[in-house]
Amino acid sequence: MLFKKSRLAEVLDATAQAMDVYVPAIVEGTSCFAPYGEDAGVTEPNFELQNTKIPPKGLLFPSTEKLYTWGKGPEGAFIESALDKPAPFVAFGVRPCDVAAIERMDQVFLTKGYIDEFYQAKREALTCVALACNRASDACFCTSMGQSPNEAPEADLLLVEGEDAFEIHPQTEKGQALADLWKPFLEEGSVDHKPVECSTQVNMEGVAQKLHGMFDSPLWDEVSTACLTCGSCTFICPTCHCFDLSQARKKEENARFRCWDSCMFKDYTLMAGNHNPREQKRNRVRQRFMHKLCFFEERYGEPLCVGCGRCLVDCPATMDITAIIDKVNAWEEKEASHV
Amino acid sequence: MNQITENTTPAVADASPASNGAAKEWQPKILAFCCNWCTYAGADLAGLNRMEYPADIRLLRVPCSGRVNPQYVLKAYQNGVDGVLVCGCHPGDCHYATGNYYAKRRMLVYKRLLEYLGLEPDRFIVRWISGSEAGKFRDTVIEATERIRELGPLSNDLPHLAPEDIPHPISAKFEWLATPKNAREGL
Amino acid sequence: MDFTEQVRKRASQLIEEGTVACVIGWSAGRLKYQRTPTCADTPEQASNLVCDQHCEHALGKYVLEQKDKGRVGLVARGCESRAINRLIADRQINREDVYLIGIPCTGCTTRDGVELKRCHECQFRNPVIYDELLGEPAPEPKNDRFADVRKLEAMSREERRAFFDLMYETCIRCHACRQACPCCTCKVCFAEQEREGWQGKQFDVEQARYYGVTRSFHVADRCIECGECERVCPMGLPLMTLMHKQIKDIDELFGPYEGGGLSDEGPDALRTFKTDDIEEFM
Repeated sequence: MLFKKSRLAEVLDATAQAMDVYVPAIVEGTSCFAPYGEDAGVTEPNFELQNTKIPPKGLLFPSTEKLYTWGKGPEGAFIESALDKPAPFVAFGVRPCDVAAIERMDQVFLTKGYIDEFYQAKREALTCVALACNRASDACFCTSMGQSPNEAPEADLLLVEGEDAFEIHPQTEKGQALADLWKPFLEEGSVDHKPVECSTQVNMEGVAQKLHGMFDSPLWDEVSTACLTCGSCTFICPTCHCFDLSQARKKEENARFRCWDSCMFKDYTLMAGNHNPREQKRNRVRQRFMHKLCFFEERYGEPLCVGCGRCLVDCPATMDITAIIDKVNAWEEKEASHV
Repeated sequence: MNQITENTTPAVADASPASNGAAKEWQPKILAFCCNWCTYAGADLAGLNRMEYPADIRLLRVPCSGRVNPQYVLKAYQNGVDGVLVCGCHPGDCHYATGNYYAKRRMLVYKRLLEYLGLEPDRFIVRWISGSEAGKFRDTVIEATERIRELGPLSNDLPHLAPEDIPHPISAKFEWLATPKNAREGL
Repeated sequence: MDFTEQVRKRASQLIEEGTVACVIGWSAGRLKYQRTPTCADTPEQASNLVCDQHCEHALGKYVLEQKDKGRVGLVARGCESRAINRLIADRQINREDVYLIGIPCTGCTTRDGVELKRCHECQFRNPVIYDELLGEPAPEPKNDRFADVRKLEAMSREERRAFFDLMYETCIRCHACRQACPCCTCKVCFAEQEREGWQGKQFDVEQARYYGVTRSFHVADRCIECGECERVCPMGLPLMTLMHKQIKDIDELFGPYEGGGLSDEGPDALRTFKTDDIEEFM
């Protein structure tokens, strides 16, 4: 099944009548998943973008999310949960790497014995429409991370872009429901899509096991030299999910909220009594890469990196996770040659 | 740990019209940082002389105008104050000899910076008021209050521009989003 | 601009002689235009250093982290040398702690050959201090650095407010500008004084504005105008419009200000006063 590119606007409009639609777009000088529609100001999705600068994780895990409020009302003290059930919404045109990143976040927030209600409510409301890549930029390395730019098994529906049409592959019930909604625009047929290959490749084979024994390796001194310990990599990462709890107090109402935090910040691990187990830069850099490539893999069986390449591009100090993986691989050989 | 600052400055409370309820008429909130050695004494003298001035002002006693860290001013606006006064001794009269000279330089630059960022100039006033100038203190408060009543709540400062009229902050570096300029093609 | 060979040679020599314990420079990355700051401890590592027009990172602040190793060699262009002056003036290092390999810089470019904004606005491309200079001094174009500020000043208050609101809405508060700034050397930043709670943790315009404005004012009179804050900003925000505004004001109010890194001696404009300073608060 496919629909012609000329009917994309109709498809989106039809979807937008049923629910909120988020599409990749350049808004206010940055690219992100923005609400589609006349009122929202985005009337055309931008599929030229390889990846949006701001990942779609904010749709499920907002940068600041109110958890509950408390205060003194006319009827006495109150505590009120801020959990609400969002209306169903669609993220349209999510790249396979970002879909995989959502799957990683599902692992964190919905498995292993604890379910995060706030995440779950949004996750259940989300219909994820993936869009297969028709090219890979020089920073993309998703194939090395076990993903593919051509398919997105975790998505509800996969779009494959052809010359003048999008082929659709519903993959879940939610995706099928969306396909039914689009019925008036669909035609039989398929598109010609050349599978995309990533030019940047790294060898992830056994990296987690190797890293497991490298906690005290001097490699981290070398790797962390360039790092500024700013939080840009963690905030633009589609899988980074660490958060902090804080509160805003006003006279009438106090709110407890959670907000993104970054393991690159010094105050991230600061404990009461001023002890900081990750005072030094190397410890923080090590934590980030160990978590991405080792700890997460040990717990969930896949790396916390999906190879989207955002941090490669936007790191102010050009820290390159692929180069670090290469170094880890090479380091082992160096050590082995000494023995 | 936000509550600590907010608790120690009870005068700095939310004054946005919405939270005060539509029924209640908006009253300006003005925070005055007053030097202990001059303006605070001047305010005292104004009280002794039974001078009348609007009750919209909250005095916050500081040891010296040089003690007023510019970030206090911004914090006050964020916590719902509509105008800020910083008052100190006349240059040359500082109890600590030089504090107000430093304050002067700082505030000269900071005031320009806040105006540059789009704050109404009259929402931030710096004045030298000595301990004997009760009249000047009263006049300054009256003047500030009247001006801020004219300007309305701080939220009136928000721009009311059509999207196409808003100058774009990233325009200078905007091209890389549309064209392959920086490291990544088409990102 | 390509000083790769000279830098490699001198860096290796200096490390071998024992003049320096390490040399901070750049190394090449996977992609043709990728450079990353690096610290060479051995002559072998020094032979991997690169110095060309893609080396966009300012290195000055890296000295602080490497100085425990001993005397630090630093590949120094205009911006790095001013950063070193700044760090000396702020009592972060001593002049003897560093050995500056001066590079007459002709500006860095993006991979398409477009000059970086911070290099375009740079007033002192040649190092202002150095222990040796590789090559002849480069020409100093001294382009107008206040063009953006003038444009903004000419706007109405509402337009400026809209401009900066949009800017702070876009800010993700990654603190890269602070981390990269050679003037930001506080042990504990106001944004991390959790007990005092100056900085709210929520991500919104107000908190971003509080962070951005306070940070820029903290370094207003010491700014060396290297433009590194603007370069590192992952969101591409025009942070130098704030710095240049303050520098322009300081320049107009308190006498000529050519940037905070030209000498290692104080006092800075906001840390001193004259009794006959301009008066507008009477």
